[in-house]
This record gives sequence, C-alpha cells and structure tokens, in this order.
Amino acid sequence: MRRVLGLALSALIVGALIAACRPGGDSGYVEIKTVPVAPLTQTALYIDSAKLAPIKKGSAILRERVGTLKLQTDGFGGTLAPICDIVVRHNRITTVTVSVLERPPRCQCRYSAGDAARTCVS
Amino acid sequence: MMTLVPRFARGAGSRAIAAAIFTVVLALPGSLARADNAGGAASPVEEFSRQLEAFQKSVPDLNKSIQETAGTIDSATDVEKARAEIDKLRETVSQLLGAVSDNGPVSQMGVKALDHVHAKLKELATGTRFKPEERQFLIDQWRTLEVQTEAATKELDDARAQFAGLLQTLQTNEDFIGELIEIRQAQKALEVIRSLTHDIRDASAQLNKLIGGIKPPGV
Repeated sequence: MRRVLGLALSALIVGALIAACRPGGDSGYVEIKTVPVAPLTQTALYIDSAKLAPIKKGSAILRERVGTLKLQTDGFGGTLAPICDIVVRHNRITTVTVSVLERPPRCQCRYSAGDAARTCVS
Repeated sequence: MMTLVPRFARGAGSRAIAAAIFTVVLALPGSLARADNAGGAASPVEEFSRQLEAFQKSVPDLNKSIQETAGTIDSATDVEKARAEIDKLRETVSQLLGAVSDNGPVSQMGVKALDHVHAKLKELATGTRFKPEERQFLIDQWRTLEVQTEAATKELDDARAQFAGLLQTLQTNEDFIGELIEIRQAQKALEVIRSLTHDIRDASAQLNKLIGGIKPPGV
C-alpha cells in the first residue's frame, strides 16, 4: 500500500514538474532596447529581482510569465530602484526602450497604459 | 420382334416432338413481347418512372448540400473563428520566438558553446602543456570554431529579431489581419454558394425534364 502511494506521489510530482516546465504555458515576451546602442550595455537591469545578463547590441528579448513585472536598476545603498512597470500578456511582446545615459535610466514605452505613462503594455 | 422396335421408337419420337412444339408455343408470346420492348422506345409510364426515380435520388443530395452550405456560411461569418485563427498564428510565432529568445533554450546553448570556445582559447594561450607548433595548431582550430559558432549565434539573433518583428506585426495589425482572414472566409463561402447554385440548377433541369415528359393521353 505504501509503495503504491509512493508511486502515485512520485507520478504527481513528475507531472507537476512537466507541466511547470512545459513551453508555451502562460507566458509572453519583453523586448528591452537600450539607447545608445552599445556592444554590451553595462547598466544593471532587473526584472523584478532577477538581474538580466548584459544586453548585447542594444536589444534583448526575454520570455516572461504573464503579469505586471517591475523593471528596476541599481539604486542607492544596494537597493533596487524601479524605473517602470511592464505588462506581459499571453503570446504578446511588450517593448520598452531604456535610455541608459540618464541617471537613473529612463523607460520609454512603445505603448503606454492609458492611465500610467510608466507602465508599458503590448 | 424386328418390326416392333421401330414402331415403338417412332411412337416415342412423335410424342417428344409434340411436347417440344407445345413448349415453344407457350413461350413464344413472352419472348415476342420482350423483343418488342427491347427494340422499341420505353412506354411513357416507364419513362416517367425512370425520370421520377432519378429526380428523387438527386433530392436527398441537394438537401445535404444545402445543409452543408448553411454550415459553411455560418462558420464563414463567425468573427470568433477569425479571432481564433489569429490566436493560433500568434501561438505558432510565439513558440518559435520562445526557443530563440535571449533566455530561451537555443540561445542558452549558443552562449554555452561560445563560452566553452573562449575558455579553451584562454587556456591554450596561457598553458605550457604543448609544444609551440602544437599549441598554434590547436589555437587555429579553436579560432575557426569560434568564428563558426559566432556566425551560428548571429543567425539566432536574426531569427530572434525576425520572430519578434512578426509578433509585433501581428499585434499592431491585428484588426487588419482579422479583416483579411474574414475576407478569406467570405471567399470560401462564395465558392460553396456557387457550387450549391450549380447543384440547384441541375435539379431544376431534371425537374423540368420530368414535368415536360408528362403527356396526358389525348393532349
């Protein structure tokens, strides 16, 4: 009986893992463009709290979960400073251009939410 | 004894001939009638019966065609179906973009491959394990690989930009693409209407033939 329960539990866990890792789940895309274009942008950027790899040739396209994400940069005293919100929709791409010459970097949305200029939408 | 046998035989032969003639006479009127039907035109009743049968056979097909056409028209004018087609298209492009996105599996493979090449070149540049000519040979080999891997990752960059552009186009021109899909559906609807019209015309011709063939006696 214990063995059967163990097997069932294992199957459940494996199934959940497969479902979680399955591509094409509820995800969309974020396109981050940095200006001026550089071979490698050194400004640290974060989506929520995850640090992004340096952006190559001024453009990166990232697959992200659906929802509202915070684009952040390094703030004072080791804190993160939010620069704008990005709304990710299923199978859609939201483009945001980050002007990295300014301090702090500034977001320019391709499309902004009607009520909030600092919220980029697809 | 010799004279009795032929007499008996003669008697049996005449009986057999008589039976054969009787059978032929009985069968003759039917055969003559059949020959008459096969050689001449069908009677008006038979002709009407044949045409009516043909028409009745075509009616269920026509009804089926009408029902199928109605279904096709319903689906052709369904706006939700057009929207579902755009969603399907978006899903396809999205999956492709997912593979080549910067944090996608294929891009990560390219990054790992290039990191490995760079690490090997660094190791060879500082290492003393090999003779100078051997080291130069290995460095040349790794440099060739570096160029090829960079070219492959550049192709990935191009694919990424292309799929992202496609997804953007799908988003920004969603209404227009929806209209194009609806036009395509309407064209399909037109095709089935044309086909149905053709079927109806055929049925009408058959019906006309059937009615035209009815000739009451004395008219």
